[in-house]
Amino acid sequence: MSLEMLQPIAVELSICGGAIVLLLVDMYLPDGARKHLASLTALLLVVALYLSTRFDGQGAIGTVYFGSAFTQLCKRLLIVATLGAVLGGRDFIAKVAPRRQGEYYFLILMCLTGMMLLPGARDLILLIVSFELMGIPLYVLTAFVRDEASPERRLAATKQAAEASLKLYLVGAASTTVTLFGLSLLVGGAGSTRLDALLAAPATPLHIAGLLLVLGGMGFKIGAVPFHMWVPDTYQGALTPVVAFLSVAPKAAGMATLMVLSVKAVPSSIWQPALTVLAVVSMTVGNLMALPQRNVKRLLGYSGVAQIGYMLLALCVGGSYALAMLLFYLCGYVVTNLGTFLVVHAVADREGDDSLDGLSGLARRSPWLGLSLLMFLLSLAGIPFVIGFWSKLYLFMAVYQAGQGWLVVVGAVLAVVGLFYYLQVARAAYMVAPAKPQPLQVEPWLAVMIVVCLLLVTGLGAYPGPLLEVCQQAADALLLGR
Amino acid sequence: MLASPVSLALTALLAPGAVALLLAVATPLRNRKSAIVLSVLAALSSLVAAILLVKGQLTPTPPQLLTVPWLLQGGVPFAEIGLRIDGISASMLLVVTFVASCVQIFSVGYMHDESPPAQGRYFTYHSLFLTAMNILVLAPNLLQLFLGWELVGVTSYLLIGYYYRKPSAAKAAVKAFWVTKFADMGLLIGLLVLRSKTGSFDWDATITPQAANLVTLLLFVAVMGKSAQFPLHIWLPDAMEGPTPVSALLHAATMVAAGVFLIVRGWPLFELAHSTRAFMLGLGSVTALLAATMALFQNDIKKVLAYSTCSQLGYMIAALGAGSLLGGFFHLTTHAFFKALLFLGAGSVIHAVHSNDLRDMGGLARKMPVTTLTFVIGALSLAGLPGLAGFFSKDLILEAVGEHGFSLWLVLLLVSAFLTAFYMGRLLLRVFFAPATEKSSHAHESGGFLLLPLGLLAVPALATGYFGGMFGQLYGTAYHFHLGNIGILAAGLGVLGLLLSYVLYRHRAEHPALLAPLGRLIEHGPMDRLYEGGFHRVALPFAALVGWIDRYLVDGVMNLTGLAFIVSGQKIRRIQTGIATDYVLATVGGVLALLLYGVMR
Repeated sequence: MSLEMLQPIAVELSICGGAIVLLLVDMYLPDGARKHLASLTALLLVVALYLSTRFDGQGAIGTVYFGSAFTQLCKRLLIVATLGAVLGGRDFIAKVAPRRQGEYYFLILMCLTGMMLLPGARDLILLIVSFELMGIPLYVLTAFVRDEASPERRLAATKQAAEASLKLYLVGAASTTVTLFGLSLLVGGAGSTRLDALLAAPATPLHIAGLLLVLGGMGFKIGAVPFHMWVPDTYQGALTPVVAFLSVAPKAAGMATLMVLSVKAVPSSIWQPALTVLAVVSMTVGNLMALPQRNVKRLLGYSGVAQIGYMLLALCVGGSYALAMLLFYLCGYVVTNLGTFLVVHAVADREGDDSLDGLSGLARRSPWLGLSLLMFLLSLAGIPFVIGFWSKLYLFMAVYQAGQGWLVVVGAVLAVVGLFYYLQVARAAYMVAPAKPQPLQVEPWLAVMIVVCLLLVTGLGAYPGPLLEVCQQAADALLLGR
Repeated sequence: MLASPVSLALTALLAPGAVALLLAVATPLRNRKSAIVLSVLAALSSLVAAILLVKGQLTPTPPQLLTVPWLLQGGVPFAEIGLRIDGISASMLLVVTFVASCVQIFSVGYMHDESPPAQGRYFTYHSLFLTAMNILVLAPNLLQLFLGWELVGVTSYLLIGYYYRKPSAAKAAVKAFWVTKFADMGLLIGLLVLRSKTGSFDWDATITPQAANLVTLLLFVAVMGKSAQFPLHIWLPDAMEGPTPVSALLHAATMVAAGVFLIVRGWPLFELAHSTRAFMLGLGSVTALLAATMALFQNDIKKVLAYSTCSQLGYMIAALGAGSLLGGFFHLTTHAFFKALLFLGAGSVIHAVHSNDLRDMGGLARKMPVTTLTFVIGALSLAGLPGLAGFFSKDLILEAVGEHGFSLWLVLLLVSAFLTAFYMGRLLLRVFFAPATEKSSHAHESGGFLLLPLGLLAVPALATGYFGGMFGQLYGTAYHFHLGNIGILAAGLGVLGLLLSYVLYRHRAEHPALLAPLGRLIEHGPMDRLYEGGFHRVALPFAALVGWIDRYLVDGVMNLTGLAFIVSGQKIRRIQTGIATDYVLATVGGVLALLLYGVMR
């Protein structure tokens, strides 16, 4: 085995190596110097992004891994999302968990490694190992606790974080069990752990049951209804920078894996009807449950469930165009949702109030932060001139052209329902008098990350062409490659 | 001609756009008087460009297109953006920029008491709105029209909710946005259907009549929302919570007319769609009558005008439904002028009396002569008094509807014509000629900034009717005025309405006993309640129900069925009390459902 063989996963390996180095460095750092770990992590991610342009990342590693334009796009998207979450939460983490920073960034990087391996995995063993590599750090990350001075407040914060983590863990453990059980059925039937062997295997009842169990496990990763129950509680309980990360990167990785499976491992006749139901139910429950929420993080949690529903809509249609539009939607969702959570982080964690009231009068206190939030909300709602509009338009177009007009109608109706709660947030920021009149200060790196998201959301909204090209190439690479 | 049509159109589009962007970014500029100056100057330069553009279009020229391929995908453009300059877009541009300029000048005086930053915000929104409207008007295809349409919606949300400290204004803004947005779904889906049937977003693409019916019906849903047609009209009266000049701009001349403009623009499609047009004719007539009836019983001067707008939009829709492009678009034009005049006049009155209520007004004719004169011109034009602008355009509509013989729709429209004159007569009497009240006795004539636009708008409200030939030329159809039986009947009904209102309301504010039950029914507002209740009684409980099923039903079902899972469930229950178990059970339930599906298939 030569080293060149590993070229398709060179970026993952460098991140994994970097994470271990980071952990070693952390051991010898004095307490005061730990705040530089974030910068080190960010540097590592930037280098990884650079490396992803140096290595083309194409080609296979045996039958286990296959790199293509599709994996390249997914990897870059994941690195960018992680970079945003790391830099955005940098100062907050340094403040609330000063001694555990090394651990925090190590976990994030390991999670990233797992996620980046997923879109290229063509073997069930690699798939499940990557999934756990992604999942286990998340259980720990969601359990991070604010370092409160007073014992009572510390206890309360610990309880909240423990609840967030435990719910994710319990549902996650159940899902992993289900997935593994499904996989054992599949391997037993097909006699191989390769994805293409699954596609070729005869559709015995056990095989079908295995495929559906795997779908259930995947549903948990992306937070589709009815596997979404952890979403609102975990979002509410975990630290906001962690949620910013959790709400975009693992979902993107999960969605990419689902795409791979649906194209490479599962005959469409088996998953398609089930996916349609998951899509419709996720859109409906997500949008309706978001309506009465008063906590912004919970509200955005349900909104995320709904957004996943829209993406599933494209997945159940399938085909090159729909998959390309799904990738486009995914990119738009990652940028927009990350930006939204960073704004919420900037406001809620400073004020210690993550209800809608905490956002009141944001536009008065910090006009640019208010404007950013408004743009992100418009994008989530799908209003023109921001990327979210094109996402919805293209996605609906793909679904309609596949002859599923009724799904478009359902999606469009629920998009209007969605408008109602997005507007509630915008209303709080723009039309409610602020509880505290003083201007809001934002840490420099957090501000930079929000502005980057804002520029991407508006820039890609004005000119989505290039990104569309990339997505189309990636989708074709997925369909035509191994 | 010095400037080419394209550069003129670009000027009209970019001048307010640049100012809006500048004011949005440069806070110091926005917080001073400079915001007002810049915004008004931009509107005026748009107006000049529009005038020159119309002048150029008077000689027959082929439509000029300037388009750039946009959203390239595999080298093939998904759509195009750009400008389409022809008689229709030029004349609509003229209407929009003229009214917008008048409204902005009026606002200088009207918003004088607000703080400079608040004024800056207000004028920034105005510039943004004008930009959005121009994007819509100059659109070369339906996609760009939709983009402008949505931007108009967002901006209107900001303008209606301008008094955001007032809860009712914020609520009205949300309601307006929500109702119109709900209707916009139709436009979105219509776009998708059009694109997949014809491969483009052009409204003159080749299409089968059947597909045209489907597409136009979907588009018409959006029109119903934007142009406040029954039963989606409910947002318009509430939107009166915004500043009065905003009502003049949005709810008289521009935004609500955008729906009618969409039909005019998409005429190649609508012309083929006979079923859609039949529906439009019916719905327009019904809206015209219903809204006119409701206008009669309002005591808020702005709400009278709001319902009147609904009613007049109904006329336009009916005209287009009957196949008369000229009738619909001509009425749009005249209505824009006289209704903007009426709203601004109402603004002048409200400014003087400090109340919206008709019962607080009276006797203003002596105190506010200029406002009175211009308002009367507008009101009589709306009432269809022969010789004024509204008479000509309304006559055109009635002739078109009556062309195919005597029909129910014609009767509805004629009755509405009578009611229009009747409620406007009541309004005039109560505001200007009734005895003065405590509040109105201290009123005095408004200042120059308020009166100038009134004068400017009164001219077209009087005289546009005589330029029918010119408008016909712009739209590419012939217009000859001739007074037929229907015209005489309509004029007679208008005069009768005015006279009757004089007899009934000369000496008293209350409605006559005969009309009282109808008034009670309308004040009860059954439609509005239905919608209000809809959200609270349907959407929220549904959310609660879904949540309940999520948490309890799944759990309950689990306890009854999967025995093995219950054992594991009990174990988790012992580890962690609370609802975490339900979460796991929901997951397991989902998996079971999937397996069940696998068994069933």
